[in-house]
Amino acid sequence: MARIEIKSEITGTVWQVKSSPGDKVESGDTLVVVESMKMEIPVITEDAGTVKEILVKEKDPVAEGQVVAVIEG
Amino acid sequence: MAFETLLEEYEKRRAKALAMGGAEKLARRRKAGTLNARERIERLFDPGTFLESGLFGASGVYPEEAEETLTDGKIAGYGKVGGRDVAAVINDFTVKGASTSATNSKKVAHMKRTATERGVPLVIIGESTGARLPDAMGARGMGQLLGNDPTQFRRLRETPMVTAVLGPSFGSSAWLACLSDFAVMHKGATMAVSSPRLIEMAMNEKVDLEELGGWRLHADVTGLVDQVVDKEEEVFEAIRRFLSYMPGHNQEAPPDAPVPAGSGADMDSVFAVLPQSRTQVYDVRRIIRAVVDKDTLFELKPRFGKSAVTGLARLGGKSVGIVANNPLHRGGALDADACRKITDFLVLCDSFNVPVVLLVDTPGFQIGTEAEKSGAPGKIMNFMNAMTLLTVPRLSVIIRKSYGRAYVCMGGGRHSDDVAAWPTAEISFMSPDFATMIVHGVKPGDPGFAEKLADIEQESDVWGLAAVFAAQAVIKPEETRDYLIRMLDVYRLRMTRGVGQHLMRSWPTSY
Repeated sequence: MARIEIKSEITGTVWQVKSSPGDKVESGDTLVVVESMKMEIPVITEDAGTVKEILVKEKDPVAEGQVVAVIEG
Repeated sequence: MAFETLLEEYEKRRAKALAMGGAEKLARRRKAGTLNARERIERLFDPGTFLESGLFGASGVYPEEAEETLTDGKIAGYGKVGGRDVAAVINDFTVKGASTSATNSKKVAHMKRTATERGVPLVIIGESTGARLPDAMGARGMGQLLGNDPTQFRRLRETPMVTAVLGPSFGSSAWLACLSDFAVMHKGATMAVSSPRLIEMAMNEKVDLEELGGWRLHADVTGLVDQVVDKEEEVFEAIRRFLSYMPGHNQEAPPDAPVPAGSGADMDSVFAVLPQSRTQVYDVRRIIRAVVDKDTLFELKPRFGKSAVTGLARLGGKSVGIVANNPLHRGGALDADACRKITDFLVLCDSFNVPVVLLVDTPGFQIGTEAEKSGAPGKIMNFMNAMTLLTVPRLSVIIRKSYGRAYVCMGGGRHSDDVAAWPTAEISFMSPDFATMIVHGVKPGDPGFAEKLADIEQESDVWGLAAVFAAQAVIKPEETRDYLIRMLDVYRLRMTRGVGQHLMRSWPTSY
Protein backbone atom coordinates (compact mmCIF):
# COMPACT_ATOMS: atom_id res chain seq x y z
CA MET A 1 0.00 0.00 0.00
CA ALA A 2 1.44 3.32 -1.05
CA ARG A 3 0.60 6.69 0.46
CA ILE A 4 -0.28 8.92 -2.47
CA GLU A 5 -0.52 12.69 -2.16
CA ILE A 6 -3.07 14.33 -4.41
CA LYS A 7 -2.06 17.87 -5.36
CA SER A 8 -3.95 20.78 -6.87
CA GLU A 9 -2.55 21.53 -10.32
CA ILE A 10 -3.55 25.14 -10.05
CA THR A 11 -3.81 28.11 -7.68
CA GLY A 12 -7.40 29.04 -6.79
CA THR A 13 -10.17 28.61 -4.24
CA VAL A 14 -11.83 25.38 -3.14
CA TRP A 15 -15.26 25.32 -4.72
CA GLN A 16 -16.52 21.89 -3.69
CA VAL A 17 -15.22 18.93 -1.70
CA LYS A 18 -16.44 15.81 -3.47
CA SER A 19 -15.11 13.00 -1.30
CA SER A 20 -14.45 12.16 2.33
CA PRO A 21 -12.11 9.88 4.27
CA GLY A 22 -12.98 6.24 3.82
CA ASP A 23 -14.29 6.65 0.26
CA LYS A 24 -13.10 4.12 -2.29
CA VAL A 25 -11.91 5.95 -5.41
CA GLU A 26 -11.01 4.91 -8.96
CA SER A 27 -8.48 6.40 -11.36
CA GLY A 28 -10.05 9.53 -12.85
CA ASP A 29 -12.32 10.32 -9.89
CA THR A 30 -12.67 13.93 -8.77
CA LEU A 31 -11.84 14.55 -5.09
CA VAL A 32 -12.09 18.34 -4.89
CA VAL A 33 -13.13 21.10 -7.33
CA VAL A 34 -11.06 24.30 -7.40
CA GLU A 35 -12.33 27.57 -8.87
CA SER A 36 -9.58 29.26 -10.86
CA MET A 37 -9.44 31.47 -13.96
CA LYS A 38 -13.27 31.58 -13.86
CA MET A 39 -13.39 27.82 -14.36
CA GLU A 40 -14.28 24.81 -12.25
CA ILE A 41 -11.11 22.73 -12.24
CA PRO A 42 -11.29 19.21 -10.79
CA VAL A 43 -8.52 17.71 -8.66
CA ILE A 44 -8.38 14.16 -9.96
CA THR A 45 -6.70 11.03 -8.64
CA GLU A 46 -4.68 9.02 -11.16
CA ASP A 47 -4.63 6.05 -8.79
CA ALA A 48 -7.36 3.88 -7.31
CA GLY A 49 -7.44 3.54 -3.52
CA THR A 50 -9.05 4.67 -0.31
CA VAL A 51 -9.26 8.30 0.75
CA LYS A 52 -7.28 8.76 3.97
CA GLU A 53 -7.40 12.52 4.44
CA ILE A 54 -9.03 15.55 2.88
CA LEU A 55 -6.88 18.55 3.80
CA VAL A 56 -9.04 21.44 2.56
CA LYS A 57 -12.56 22.75 2.99
CA GLU A 58 -14.81 24.89 0.81
CA LYS A 59 -13.61 28.46 0.20
CA ASP A 60 -10.03 27.64 1.29
CA PRO A 61 -7.37 29.17 -0.95
CA VAL A 62 -5.07 26.57 -2.52
CA ALA A 63 -1.71 27.02 -4.18
CA GLU A 64 -0.36 25.16 -7.19
CA GLY A 65 1.20 21.92 -5.99
CA GLN A 66 -0.53 22.01 -2.60
CA VAL A 67 -1.56 18.61 -1.25
CA VAL A 68 -5.36 18.61 -0.91
CA ALA A 69 -5.94 14.93 -0.18
CA VAL A 70 -4.11 11.74 0.66
CA ILE A 71 -5.13 8.34 -0.56
CA GLU A 72 -3.79 4.90 0.10
CA GLY A 73 -3.61 2.64 -2.92
CA MET B 1 36.28 -37.09 -37.83
CA ALA B 2 37.83 -33.69 -37.27
CA PHE B 3 34.74 -32.03 -38.68
CA GLU B 4 32.56 -33.93 -36.24
CA THR B 5 34.69 -32.73 -33.37
CA LEU B 6 34.39 -29.19 -34.60
CA LEU B 7 30.64 -29.51 -34.87
CA GLU B 8 30.45 -30.92 -31.36
CA GLU B 9 32.49 -28.02 -30.12
CA TYR B 10 30.17 -25.65 -31.98
CA GLU B 11 27.06 -27.18 -30.42
CA LYS B 12 28.61 -27.12 -26.97
CA ARG B 13 29.59 -23.47 -27.21
CA ARG B 14 26.25 -22.53 -28.69
CA ALA B 15 24.26 -24.27 -25.96
CA LYS B 16 26.37 -22.59 -23.31
CA ALA B 17 25.89 -19.12 -24.79
CA LEU B 18 22.15 -19.66 -25.11
CA ALA B 19 22.03 -20.72 -21.44
CA MET B 20 22.92 -17.14 -20.42
CA GLY B 21 24.23 -16.67 -16.87
CA GLY B 22 23.41 -20.23 -15.81
CA ALA B 23 20.53 -22.27 -14.42
CA GLU B 24 20.66 -20.88 -10.90
CA LYS B 25 20.33 -17.23 -11.90
CA LEU B 26 17.62 -18.05 -14.41
CA ALA B 27 15.67 -19.98 -11.77
CA ARG B 28 15.84 -16.99 -9.42
CA ARG B 29 14.40 -14.74 -12.10
CA ARG B 30 11.65 -17.22 -12.91
CA LYS B 31 10.74 -17.38 -9.22
CA ALA B 32 10.53 -13.60 -9.08
CA GLY B 33 8.27 -13.63 -12.17
CA THR B 34 10.86 -11.78 -14.29
CA LEU B 35 11.43 -12.78 -17.89
CA ASN B 36 14.98 -13.58 -18.96
CA ALA B 37 16.64 -11.96 -21.97
CA ARG B 38 15.78 -14.78 -24.40
CA GLU B 39 12.17 -14.89 -23.27
CA ARG B 40 12.07 -11.16 -23.93
CA ILE B 41 13.37 -11.75 -27.45
CA GLU B 42 10.48 -14.16 -28.09
CA ARG B 43 7.98 -11.54 -26.99
CA LEU B 44 9.54 -8.68 -28.91
CA PHE B 45 9.81 -10.26 -32.36
CA ASP B 46 7.49 -12.07 -34.73
CA PRO B 47 7.91 -15.81 -33.98
CA GLY B 48 11.08 -17.39 -35.32
CA THR B 49 12.49 -14.23 -36.94
CA PHE B 50 15.41 -13.46 -34.59
CA LEU B 51 18.87 -13.75 -36.10
CA GLU B 52 21.60 -13.25 -33.55
CA SER B 53 24.74 -11.21 -34.05
CA GLY B 54 27.61 -11.95 -31.69
CA LEU B 55 26.37 -15.10 -29.94
CA PHE B 56 29.98 -16.18 -29.35
CA GLY B 57 31.17 -12.84 -28.00
CA ALA B 58 32.77 -12.67 -24.56
CA SER B 59 34.86 -10.31 -22.44
CA GLY B 60 37.29 -8.40 -24.60
CA VAL B 61 39.28 -7.29 -21.55
CA TYR B 62 39.82 -10.52 -19.59
CA PRO B 63 40.09 -13.58 -21.89
CA GLU B 64 40.26 -15.82 -18.80
CA GLU B 65 36.70 -14.71 -17.95
CA ALA B 66 35.20 -15.95 -21.22
CA GLU B 67 33.08 -18.54 -19.43
CA GLU B 68 31.42 -15.96 -17.14
CA THR B 69 30.92 -13.39 -19.87
CA LEU B 70 29.02 -15.32 -22.54
CA THR B 71 27.62 -12.97 -25.19
CA ASP B 72 29.30 -10.37 -22.96
CA GLY B 73 25.91 -9.70 -21.34
CA LYS B 74 24.23 -7.91 -24.19
CA ILE B 75 22.43 -9.96 -26.85
CA ALA B 76 22.26 -8.32 -30.27
CA GLY B 77 20.57 -9.16 -33.52
CA TYR B 78 17.83 -8.64 -36.07
CA GLY B 79 14.21 -9.67 -36.05
CA LYS B 80 10.87 -8.69 -37.51
CA VAL B 81 8.18 -6.65 -35.80
CA GLY B 82 4.90 -6.72 -37.68
CA GLY B 83 6.80 -8.15 -40.66
CA ARG B 84 9.37 -5.33 -40.76
CA ASP B 85 13.06 -5.53 -39.83
CA VAL B 86 14.32 -4.15 -36.54
CA ALA B 87 17.82 -4.15 -35.03
CA ALA B 88 17.90 -4.80 -31.31
CA VAL B 89 20.04 -5.06 -28.20
CA ILE B 90 18.62 -7.10 -25.35
CA ASN B 91 20.49 -6.77 -22.07
CA ASP B 92 21.14 -10.05 -20.26
CA PHE B 93 21.26 -9.15 -16.59
CA THR B 94 22.36 -12.68 -15.64
CA VAL B 95 25.74 -12.07 -17.26
CA LYS B 96 27.69 -9.53 -15.21
CA GLY B 97 24.54 -7.45 -14.70
CA ALA B 98 24.63 -6.62 -18.43
CA SER B 99 27.36 -4.13 -17.54
CA THR B 100 29.05 -2.27 -20.35
CA SER B 101 32.48 -3.48 -21.49
CA ALA B 102 34.58 -3.71 -24.65
CA THR B 103 32.93 -6.49 -26.66
CA ASN B 104 29.34 -5.60 -25.88
CA SER B 105 30.03 -1.95 -26.72
CA LYS B 106 31.08 -3.11 -30.18
CA LYS B 107 27.85 -5.13 -30.45
CA VAL B 108 25.68 -2.15 -29.49
CA ALA B 109 27.57 0.11 -31.92
CA HIS B 110 27.13 -2.48 -34.67
CA MET B 111 23.35 -2.57 -34.17
CA LYS B 112 23.11 1.21 -34.08
CA ARG B 113 25.21 1.55 -37.22
CA THR B 114 23.19 -1.02 -39.15
CA ALA B 115 19.92 0.55 -38.04
CA THR B 116 21.04 4.07 -38.90
CA GLU B 117 22.73 3.34 -42.23
CA ARG B 118 20.26 0.78 -43.58
CA GLY B 119 17.04 2.34 -42.30
CA VAL B 120 15.56 0.06 -39.68
CA PRO B 121 14.34 0.96 -36.18
CA LEU B 122 16.63 0.31 -33.21
CA VAL B 123 15.19 -1.30 -30.08
CA ILE B 124 17.04 -1.52 -26.75
CA ILE B 125 15.69 -3.77 -24.01
CA GLY B 126 17.31 -2.27 -20.95
CA GLU B 127 18.25 -3.73 -17.57
CA SER B 128 21.80 -2.88 -16.68
CA THR B 129 24.11 -1.92 -13.86
CA GLY B 130 26.28 0.55 -15.79
CA ALA B 131 29.95 0.36 -16.72
CA ARG B 132 31.67 -2.95 -15.87
CA LEU B 133 34.27 -2.82 -13.13
CA PRO B 134 37.17 -3.22 -13.01
CA ASP B 135 37.19 -3.08 -16.83
CA ALA B 136 36.59 0.67 -16.94
CA MET B 137 38.77 1.46 -13.93
CA GLY B 138 41.71 3.80 -14.06
CA ALA B 139 43.11 5.90 -16.83
CA ARG B 140 43.87 2.91 -19.05
CA GLY B 141 40.41 1.44 -18.52
CA MET B 142 38.70 4.71 -19.30
CA GLY B 143 40.88 5.38 -22.31
CA GLN B 144 40.32 1.90 -23.71
CA LEU B 145 36.59 1.61 -23.07
CA LEU B 146 34.90 4.98 -23.08
CA GLY B 147 34.39 7.65 -25.68
CA ASN B 148 35.95 5.91 -28.67
CA ASP B 149 32.78 5.98 -30.72
CA PRO B 150 31.65 9.57 -31.27
CA THR B 151 28.36 8.36 -32.78
CA GLN B 152 27.41 6.33 -29.70
CA PHE B 153 25.13 9.04 -28.33
CA ARG B 154 24.46 10.92 -31.57
CA ARG B 155 20.80 11.25 -32.47
CA LEU B 156 19.89 12.54 -35.92
CA ARG B 157 16.65 10.57 -35.94
CA GLU B 158 17.38 8.67 -39.16
CA THR B 159 15.31 5.78 -37.79
CA PRO B 160 12.97 5.37 -34.84
CA MET B 161 14.65 4.35 -31.58
CA VAL B 162 12.85 2.65 -28.71
CA THR B 163 14.02 1.65 -25.23
CA ALA B 164 12.39 -0.52 -22.59
CA VAL B 165 13.28 0.33 -18.99
CA LEU B 166 13.21 -2.91 -16.99
CA GLY B 167 14.59 -3.85 -13.58
CA PRO B 168 17.53 -1.70 -12.52
CA SER B 169 18.36 0.54 -15.47
CA PHE B 170 21.50 2.44 -14.61
CA GLY B 171 24.19 3.58 -17.01
CA SER B 172 23.60 2.69 -20.67
CA SER B 173 19.95 1.68 -20.21
CA ALA B 174 19.15 5.09 -18.71
CA TRP B 175 21.16 7.01 -21.30
CA LEU B 176 19.61 5.18 -24.23
CA ALA B 177 16.08 5.51 -22.85
CA CYS B 178 16.55 9.27 -22.73
CA LEU B 179 17.86 9.34 -26.31
CA SER B 180 14.92 7.29 -27.59
CA ASP B 181 11.81 8.37 -29.45
CA PHE B 182 9.77 6.08 -27.24
CA ALA B 183 10.68 4.86 -23.75
CA VAL B 184 8.41 2.40 -21.97
CA MET B 185 8.93 1.52 -18.32
CA HIS B 186 7.78 -1.47 -16.31
CA LYS B 187 6.40 -0.59 -12.87
CA GLY B 188 9.05 -1.61 -10.35
CA ALA B 189 11.95 -0.73 -12.66
CA THR B 190 14.40 2.01 -11.73
CA MET B 191 16.04 4.47 -14.09
CA ALA B 192 18.73 6.68 -12.64
CA VAL B 193 22.23 8.03 -13.24
CA SER B 194 23.65 6.06 -10.35
CA SER B 195 22.66 3.21 -8.05
CA PRO B 196 21.56 3.76 -4.43
CA ARG B 197 24.68 1.90 -3.24
CA LEU B 198 27.05 4.45 -4.76
CA ILE B 199 24.86 7.35 -3.67
CA GLU B 200 24.95 6.10 -0.10
CA MET B 201 28.74 5.73 -0.17
CA ALA B 202 29.43 9.07 -1.83
CA MET B 203 26.79 11.30 -0.32
CA ASN B 204 25.74 9.48 2.83
CA GLU B 205 22.18 9.70 1.55
CA LYS B 206 19.98 6.68 2.07
CA VAL B 207 17.66 6.52 -0.90
CA ASP B 208 14.71 4.44 -1.77
CA LEU B 209 14.84 2.92 -5.28
CA GLU B 210 11.35 4.13 -6.19
CA GLU B 211 12.08 7.65 -5.00
CA LEU B 212 15.40 7.72 -6.86
CA GLY B 213 14.13 6.55 -10.22
CA GLY B 214 10.80 4.80 -9.97
CA TRP B 215 7.93 4.94 -12.43
CA ARG B 216 6.03 7.68 -10.62
CA LEU B 217 9.04 9.99 -10.78
CA HIS B 218 9.52 9.48 -14.51
CA ALA B 219 5.85 9.35 -15.51
CA ASP B 220 4.65 12.28 -13.39
CA VAL B 221 7.63 14.55 -12.72
CA THR B 222 10.51 14.17 -15.19
CA GLY B 223 8.50 13.10 -18.25
CA LEU B 224 11.49 11.01 -19.35
CA VAL B 225 9.40 7.92 -20.02
CA ASP B 226 6.52 7.90 -22.45
CA GLN B 227 4.49 5.04 -21.05
CA VAL B 228 4.39 2.92 -17.91
CA VAL B 229 2.97 -0.60 -17.87
CA ASP B 230 1.88 -2.93 -15.05
CA LYS B 231 2.97 -6.23 -16.56
CA GLU B 232 6.27 -7.03 -18.24
CA GLU B 233 4.52 -8.57 -21.28
CA GLU B 234 2.88 -5.20 -21.93
CA VAL B 235 6.32 -3.64 -22.50
CA PHE B 236 6.70 -5.65 -25.69
CA GLU B 237 3.14 -4.99 -26.84
CA ALA B 238 3.77 -1.25 -26.36
CA ILE B 239 6.99 -1.36 -28.42
CA ARG B 240 5.35 -3.31 -31.24
CA ARG B 241 2.44 -0.91 -31.24
CA PHE B 242 4.61 2.22 -31.22
CA LEU B 243 6.57 0.92 -34.20
CA SER B 244 3.33 0.20 -36.11
CA TYR B 245 2.76 3.99 -36.40
CA MET B 246 6.32 4.65 -37.55
CA PRO B 247 8.12 4.27 -40.88
CA GLY B 248 11.25 2.10 -40.86
CA HIS B 249 13.32 5.23 -41.51
CA ASN B 250 12.84 8.92 -42.16
CA GLN B 251 12.90 8.65 -45.97
CA GLU B 252 9.57 6.85 -46.20
CA ALA B 253 6.00 7.50 -45.08
CA PRO B 254 4.54 5.51 -42.18
CA PRO B 255 2.73 2.32 -43.19
CA ASP B 256 -1.04 2.28 -43.71
CA ALA B 257 -3.31 0.03 -41.69
CA PRO B 258 -6.85 -1.22 -42.30
CA VAL B 259 -9.58 1.00 -40.84
CA PRO B 260 -11.19 -0.93 -37.96
CA ALA B 261 -14.93 -1.58 -38.19
CA GLY B 262 -16.93 0.86 -36.08
CA SER B 263 -14.55 3.81 -36.68
CA GLY B 264 -16.46 7.09 -36.56
CA ALA B 265 -19.53 5.44 -35.02
CA ASP B 266 -19.52 7.87 -32.07
CA MET B 267 -19.31 11.04 -34.15
CA ASP B 268 -23.03 11.82 -33.77
CA SER B 269 -22.62 12.21 -30.02
CA VAL B 270 -19.27 14.02 -30.05
CA PHE B 271 -20.82 17.49 -29.58
CA ALA B 272 -22.47 16.28 -26.36
CA VAL B 273 -19.01 15.84 -24.80
CA LEU B 274 -18.80 19.64 -24.47
CA PRO B 275 -20.48 20.92 -21.28
CA GLN B 276 -23.16 23.60 -21.77
CA SER B 277 -21.27 26.07 -19.59
CA ARG B 278 -17.94 27.51 -20.71
CA THR B 279 -16.75 27.46 -17.10
CA GLN B 280 -16.98 23.68 -16.97
CA VAL B 281 -14.43 21.17 -18.16
CA TYR B 282 -14.39 17.84 -19.99
CA ASP B 283 -11.90 15.17 -21.00
CA VAL B 284 -10.73 15.89 -24.57
CA ARG B 285 -9.68 12.24 -24.93
CA ARG B 286 -13.36 11.39 -25.37
CA ILE B 287 -13.41 13.59 -28.46
CA ILE B 288 -10.10 12.21 -29.77
CA ARG B 289 -11.25 8.60 -29.36
CA ALA B 290 -14.45 9.34 -31.28
CA VAL B 291 -12.63 11.11 -34.13
CA VAL B 292 -9.70 8.77 -34.79
CA ASP B 293 -9.91 5.20 -36.11
CA LYS B 294 -11.39 2.95 -33.45
CA ASP B 295 -8.99 2.04 -30.63
CA THR B 296 -5.96 3.57 -32.35
CA LEU B 297 -5.14 6.35 -29.85
CA PHE B 298 -1.71 5.56 -28.37
CA GLU B 299 -1.12 8.25 -25.78
CA LEU B 300 2.40 9.38 -24.88
CA LYS B 301 3.34 10.79 -21.47
CA PRO B 302 -0.28 10.58 -20.22
CA ARG B 303 0.65 11.48 -16.62
CA PHE B 304 2.95 14.39 -17.48
CA GLY B 305 1.93 17.93 -18.50
CA LYS B 306 -1.64 16.70 -18.46
CA SER B 307 -3.29 19.88 -19.75
CA ALA B 308 -2.06 18.67 -23.14
CA VAL B 309 -2.71 15.29 -24.69
CA THR B 310 -0.19 13.94 -27.19
CA GLY B 311 -0.69 10.65 -28.93
CA LEU B 312 -0.23 8.68 -32.10
CA ALA B 313 -3.38 7.46 -33.80
CA ARG B 314 -4.77 6.71 -37.26
CA LEU B 315 -7.25 8.55 -39.40
CA GLY B 316 -8.60 6.61 -42.36
CA GLY B 317 -5.84 4.06 -41.81
CA LYS B 318 -3.00 6.61 -41.87
CA SER B 319 -0.72 7.54 -38.96
CA VAL B 320 -1.35 10.93 -37.39
CA GLY B 321 -0.04 12.71 -34.31
CA ILE B 322 -2.72 14.28 -32.15
CA VAL B 323 -1.93 17.36 -30.05
CA ALA B 324 -4.90 18.46 -27.96
CA ASN B 325 -5.51 20.75 -25.03
CA ASN B 326 -7.25 18.95 -22.18
CA PRO B 327 -9.56 21.26 -20.20
CA LEU B 328 -9.91 18.50 -17.60
CA HIS B 329 -6.53 19.59 -16.26
CA ARG B 330 -5.78 23.25 -15.43
CA GLY B 331 -8.78 24.13 -17.59
CA GLY B 332 -6.52 23.42 -20.56
CA ALA B 333 -3.97 26.10 -19.63
CA LEU B 334 -0.56 25.06 -20.97
CA ASP B 335 2.19 24.96 -18.36
CA ALA B 336 5.91 24.41 -18.92
CA ASP B 337 5.57 20.61 -18.72
CA ALA B 338 2.76 20.59 -21.27
CA CYS B 339 4.92 22.71 -23.61
CA ARG B 340 7.88 20.34 -23.17
CA LYS B 341 5.65 17.38 -23.93
CA ILE B 342 4.17 18.96 -27.05
CA THR B 343 7.58 20.08 -28.35
CA ASP B 344 8.97 16.58 -27.88
CA PHE B 345 6.00 15.16 -29.76
CA LEU B 346 6.17 17.63 -32.65
CA VAL B 347 9.84 16.72 -33.13
CA LEU B 348 8.88 13.04 -33.22
CA CYS B 349 6.10 13.56 -35.76
CA ASP B 350 8.13 15.79 -38.06
CA SER B 351 11.18 13.53 -37.92
CA PHE B 352 9.17 10.49 -39.01
CA ASN B 353 6.74 12.02 -41.49
CA VAL B 354 3.64 11.76 -39.32
CA PRO B 355 1.04 14.50 -40.07
CA VAL B 356 -0.19 16.49 -37.06
CA VAL B 357 -3.75 17.30 -35.99
CA LEU B 358 -4.25 19.95 -33.28
CA LEU B 359 -7.48 20.11 -31.27
CA VAL B 360 -7.72 23.45 -29.54
CA ASP B 361 -9.46 24.41 -26.30
CA THR B 362 -7.13 26.46 -24.12
CA PRO B 363 -7.49 29.64 -22.09
CA GLY B 364 -3.81 30.24 -22.89
CA PHE B 365 -0.46 29.56 -21.32
CA GLN B 366 -0.34 29.08 -17.57
CA ILE B 367 0.40 32.36 -15.82
CA GLY B 368 1.57 32.96 -12.27
CA THR B 369 4.77 32.70 -10.26
CA GLU B 370 5.03 28.89 -10.45
CA ALA B 371 4.89 29.05 -14.24
CA GLU B 372 7.61 31.69 -14.38
CA LYS B 373 9.85 29.70 -12.02
CA SER B 374 9.66 26.77 -14.40
CA GLY B 375 10.97 28.92 -17.25
CA ALA B 376 7.63 29.09 -19.04
CA PRO B 377 8.60 31.70 -21.68
CA GLY B 378 11.51 29.54 -22.85
CA LYS B 379 9.35 26.42 -23.09
CA ILE B 380 6.64 28.35 -24.91
CA MET B 381 9.18 29.58 -27.48
CA ASN B 382 10.50 26.03 -28.02
CA PHE B 383 6.92 25.02 -28.79
CA MET B 384 6.42 28.08 -31.01
CA ASN B 385 9.67 27.47 -32.88
CA ALA B 386 8.81 23.79 -33.37
CA MET B 387 5.53 24.87 -34.99
CA THR B 388 7.44 27.09 -37.43
CA LEU B 389 9.82 24.25 -38.33
CA LEU B 390 7.18 21.57 -38.81
CA THR B 391 7.20 20.32 -42.41
CA VAL B 392 4.58 17.57 -42.25
CA PRO B 393 0.93 18.34 -43.07
CA ARG B 394 -0.92 19.77 -40.08
CA LEU B 395 -4.48 20.78 -39.45
CA SER B 396 -6.04 22.49 -36.48
CA VAL B 397 -9.59 22.39 -35.22
CA ILE B 398 -10.69 25.03 -32.70
CA ILE B 399 -13.21 23.33 -30.43
CA ARG B 400 -13.77 26.05 -27.88
CA LYS B 401 -11.30 28.55 -26.41
CA SER B 402 -8.22 29.77 -28.25
CA TYR B 403 -6.54 32.73 -26.60
CA GLY B 404 -3.42 34.83 -26.86
CA ARG B 405 -0.04 33.35 -27.77
CA ALA B 406 -1.52 29.86 -27.37
CA TYR B 407 -3.80 30.61 -30.35
CA VAL B 408 -0.70 30.87 -32.53
CA CYS B 409 1.17 27.96 -30.95
CA MET B 410 -1.84 25.68 -31.37
CA GLY B 411 -1.84 26.26 -35.11
CA GLY B 412 -3.61 29.61 -35.47
CA GLY B 413 -3.23 31.65 -38.67
CA ARG B 414 -0.69 30.19 -41.07
CA HIS B 415 0.68 27.85 -38.42
CA SER B 416 -1.63 25.17 -39.82
CA ASP B 417 -2.18 24.20 -43.43
CA ASP B 418 -5.86 24.68 -42.71
CA VAL B 419 -7.80 25.92 -39.68
CA ALA B 420 -11.32 24.67 -39.00
CA ALA B 421 -13.49 25.79 -36.10
CA TRP B 422 -16.55 24.41 -34.40
CA PRO B 423 -19.42 26.92 -33.98
CA THR B 424 -18.54 26.93 -30.26
CA ALA B 425 -15.10 28.46 -30.96
CA GLU B 426 -14.18 31.68 -29.16
CA ILE B 427 -11.01 33.46 -30.13
CA SER B 428 -9.40 36.54 -28.62
CA PHE B 429 -6.32 37.89 -26.95
CA MET B 430 -7.70 36.91 -23.53
CA SER B 431 -10.85 35.62 -21.85
CA PRO B 432 -13.78 38.08 -22.35
CA ASP B 433 -14.22 38.68 -18.56
CA PHE B 434 -10.67 39.87 -18.12
CA ALA B 435 -10.68 41.73 -21.43
CA THR B 436 -13.76 43.69 -20.29
CA MET B 437 -12.07 44.65 -17.03
CA ILE B 438 -8.84 45.73 -18.72
CA VAL B 439 -10.26 47.44 -21.80
CA HIS B 440 -13.20 49.19 -20.13
CA GLY B 441 -11.91 49.50 -16.56
CA VAL B 442 -15.08 47.98 -15.07
CA LYS B 443 -15.44 45.05 -12.66
CA PRO B 444 -18.22 42.44 -12.46
CA GLY B 445 -21.15 44.12 -10.67
CA ASP B 446 -20.22 47.63 -11.92
CA PRO B 447 -22.88 49.42 -13.99
CA GLY B 448 -22.39 48.66 -17.68
CA PHE B 449 -20.19 45.57 -17.11
CA ALA B 450 -22.76 43.10 -18.46
CA GLU B 451 -23.32 45.07 -21.69
CA LYS B 452 -19.62 45.57 -22.30
CA LEU B 453 -18.97 41.88 -21.61
CA ALA B 454 -21.69 40.87 -24.10
CA ASP B 455 -20.09 43.07 -26.79
CA ILE B 456 -16.66 41.58 -26.22
CA GLU B 457 -18.05 38.04 -26.23
CA GLN B 458 -19.70 38.65 -29.55
CA GLU B 459 -16.48 40.00 -30.99
CA SER B 460 -14.79 36.74 -29.94
CA ASP B 461 -17.13 34.37 -31.75
CA VAL B 462 -16.21 32.13 -34.66
CA TRP B 463 -17.74 34.27 -37.40
CA GLY B 464 -15.11 36.99 -37.04
CA LEU B 465 -12.35 34.45 -37.62
CA ALA B 466 -14.17 32.98 -40.63
CA ALA B 467 -14.90 36.45 -42.11
CA VAL B 468 -11.21 37.35 -42.31
CA PHE B 469 -10.32 33.85 -43.60
CA ALA B 470 -8.25 33.04 -40.49
CA ALA B 471 -10.46 29.96 -40.28
CA GLN B 472 -10.89 28.28 -43.66
CA ALA B 473 -13.91 26.31 -42.49
CA VAL B 474 -16.55 26.29 -39.78
CA ILE B 475 -17.59 22.68 -39.33
CA LYS B 476 -20.24 20.86 -37.38
CA PRO B 477 -18.64 18.74 -34.66
CA GLU B 478 -19.99 15.50 -36.12
CA GLU B 479 -18.22 16.27 -39.43
CA THR B 480 -14.79 16.53 -37.80
CA ARG B 481 -13.56 13.02 -38.62
CA ASP B 482 -14.59 13.12 -42.30
CA TYR B 483 -13.23 16.66 -42.66
CA LEU B 484 -9.82 15.69 -41.24
CA ILE B 485 -9.50 12.56 -43.39
CA ARG B 486 -10.36 14.55 -46.51
CA MET B 487 -8.07 17.47 -45.68
CA LEU B 488 -5.12 15.23 -44.76
CA ASP B 489 -5.50 13.80 -48.23
CA VAL B 490 -5.66 17.28 -49.80
CA TYR B 491 -2.46 18.34 -47.98
CA ARG B 492 -0.57 15.09 -48.62
CA LEU B 493 3.13 15.65 -49.48
CA ARG B 494 2.76 14.32 -53.02
CA MET B 495 6.05 15.58 -54.41
CA THR B 496 8.14 13.84 -51.77
CA ARG B 497 5.90 10.76 -51.34
CA GLY B 498 4.95 11.80 -47.81
CA VAL B 499 8.48 12.66 -46.64
CA GLY B 500 9.05 15.93 -44.75
CA GLN B 501 12.25 17.93 -44.30
CA HIS B 502 13.13 16.86 -40.70
CA LEU B 503 14.39 20.30 -39.72
CA MET B 504 14.33 19.31 -36.02
CA ARG B 505 16.16 16.01 -36.41
CA SER B 506 19.01 17.21 -34.21
CA TRP B 507 16.82 18.79 -31.52
CA PRO B 508 17.32 17.53 -27.96
CA THR B 509 15.73 14.24 -26.96
CA SER B 510 14.33 15.69 -23.75
CA TYR B 511 13.57 19.25 -22.65
